[in-house]
Amino acid sequence: MKFALKRLIAGTTALAGVALAGTAFAETITIGITQNNVGVDSYQTTYEKAFIEAANADPEVEAVVLDAAGDVARQIAQIQDLVQQKVDAIIIWPTNGKAVVPAVRAADKAGIPVVITNSNIAKEGFDFIKSFSGPDNITQGSRAAEIMCDKFKDMGIEKTAQIVQISGQPGYTTAIERAKGFEDRLPEVCPDVKLMETQPGDWNREKSQRVMEAFLVKYDKIDGVYAGDDNMGVGALNAAKAAGRDGIIFVGATNFAVGYEAMARGEYWGSIYQSPVDDAKNALATAKAVVKGEDVPFLNYFDTPKITQDNMDKFTKPVF
Amino acid sequence: MAGIADRIGGGDLKGVIAKNGIFIAFIAFMIAFGFGSDKFLTFDNLESVVRSSAMIGVMALGVTIVVISGNLDLSVGSMLSFGTVMVVDLHDKIGPGPAIMVMMACVLLLGAVNGFLIGYVRLNSLIVTLGMLSAIQGLTLIYSGGKNVDVDPSTQDITWFRIFGRGEIAGIDMPIIIFFVLALIIGFIVAFTPYGRRVYAVGGNPTAAVFSGIRRSRVVFSTYLVSSFCVGIASVILGSRVMGSQNNVGQGYELLVLASVILGGTSLLGGSGSILKTVIGVLILGFIQNGLLLLGYPYFAQWIVTWIVIILAVWLDVAAKRGRLLSPIA
Repeated sequence: MKFALKRLIAGTTALAGVALAGTAFAETITIGITQNNVGVDSYQTTYEKAFIEAANADPEVEAVVLDAAGDVARQIAQIQDLVQQKVDAIIIWPTNGKAVVPAVRAADKAGIPVVITNSNIAKEGFDFIKSFSGPDNITQGSRAAEIMCDKFKDMGIEKTAQIVQISGQPGYTTAIERAKGFEDRLPEVCPDVKLMETQPGDWNREKSQRVMEAFLVKYDKIDGVYAGDDNMGVGALNAAKAAGRDGIIFVGATNFAVGYEAMARGEYWGSIYQSPVDDAKNALATAKAVVKGEDVPFLNYFDTPKITQDNMDKFTKPVF
Repeated sequence: MAGIADRIGGGDLKGVIAKNGIFIAFIAFMIAFGFGSDKFLTFDNLESVVRSSAMIGVMALGVTIVVISGNLDLSVGSMLSFGTVMVVDLHDKIGPGPAIMVMMACVLLLGAVNGFLIGYVRLNSLIVTLGMLSAIQGLTLIYSGGKNVDVDPSTQDITWFRIFGRGEIAGIDMPIIIFFVLALIIGFIVAFTPYGRRVYAVGGNPTAAVFSGIRRSRVVFSTYLVSSFCVGIASVILGSRVMGSQNNVGQGYELLVLASVILGGTSLLGGSGSILKTVIGVLILGFIQNGLLLLGYPYFAQWIVTWIVIILAVWLDVAAKRGRLLSPIA
């Protein structure tokens, strides 16, 4: 009742007239989303907010927004619920890339298109999904290589520079892809820059600080540090500052608030900007396009631009 | 004098080796790594390793007392996350002094919960602290709302909070000084006071201890307070060193701590062990990780080699005690 009333008010206040609102109502697309763990970090919290806002702003879309709170069993139950409700499409932010595959398969069998968001499911599930919407970690890695190379060229040390890499948690796809993107791209743009060593920082700032301390002892000359995300990059920066080693170029593969602040202080050179708002909007748009039968690439990435000290004023500080 | 001679093995060489296998293993590794990398035995590197081991070391001191009294503490890792997030978060809100005090009070309270359930209710320490491991992680997430916390960058270089992780006295880094001073104090208490003897008695033979008039519950309770106190100190070091904290910064550290304690030769069955040996255990673990990194092993090789070195160290220790390499029975 309340719902209908709201529609009525919206319809009468809209100058475009009741007829248009009427047709939109008839063609409403219902999209269900089950998220990984809202509230566990600011990225996911902002993602949810942006998703709901985007869905509310779009008269064609009705959204059913669910959260699995990090629990695989709950996510599977939520997928089954959404299938029962006969929504037009399901968006899943997998709690576990392997464990959700059977539920995804069941949804696909029931004729409901599935879109995966943010982090992909295991390969054996690819046949049952329509598209993956999220960041391209390989591109993030290769763009980070370009940022570092450009900076070295500015400084005129692209022939002699030596760098080290601090990667994410071993075994995680994100960590592997960000390292691969960087390692493949760097020799193409700066063939003489030498990557001396890679060690994992496990996404942990303190661990990364320890790894960097060892690098600083081991190598007398370090011109650049590439880190899998800014959290680890700032850990490495801390170590360099404590050791009094100036002039090292720090580049991360995902910009965090700490990295943004360090860039503002002129201590950290650059990173890759990944917005949870773009992530959410891209997921919704992908699902909508799938329902409408439009052509959607299987891997539907959203853009993650380069951010450096030079252009950072064009970006707002990340929320995470 | 005779007491000291007994402690290091009673005079003859065989006795010295038998009682101090872990020290010999330690020296052997240092020499081996020294040959492998010319950077390993430099002052800068030694200082860097001891500094980064100091935080694990401080926690290991407290856990050693818990283990000597015959119990376990697996909650120290997530307690470290909790303490660090709290002290960093409160730093900007109420100032460093009050932040440290409030955090210490909260961490001691968590230790008291452990101590009450294990000492007075007499529940199994493995189960209680394993439960606390996840409960405190949950508490940390609720407290922080899932966000990483940071000390305001503009104050990072001026706040006196920085001395605990970044300061130095007479050229020696502050975390190292805190670690060794705390080791001396706790080592003295454990080895030379009536309280220390009660801890050994409770761990060695709880029934006999109770019949000798020792209040077992109270002793066990107190060991968890000591353990959580040490975690509080470690949180201050970590927070000050990083000037920020992730929610899960201490994840997995409970195993590193426990590995150091066991590597030092403190028995999981309780009743034996010493603070000095734990310090050696902490240093061995720190130097293994650092040495392998300097030698340039890829990380997966490091995991395997770390395991091999731990087994070798423990084996050397046991073999020295037995006087032979394999089991005396088989």
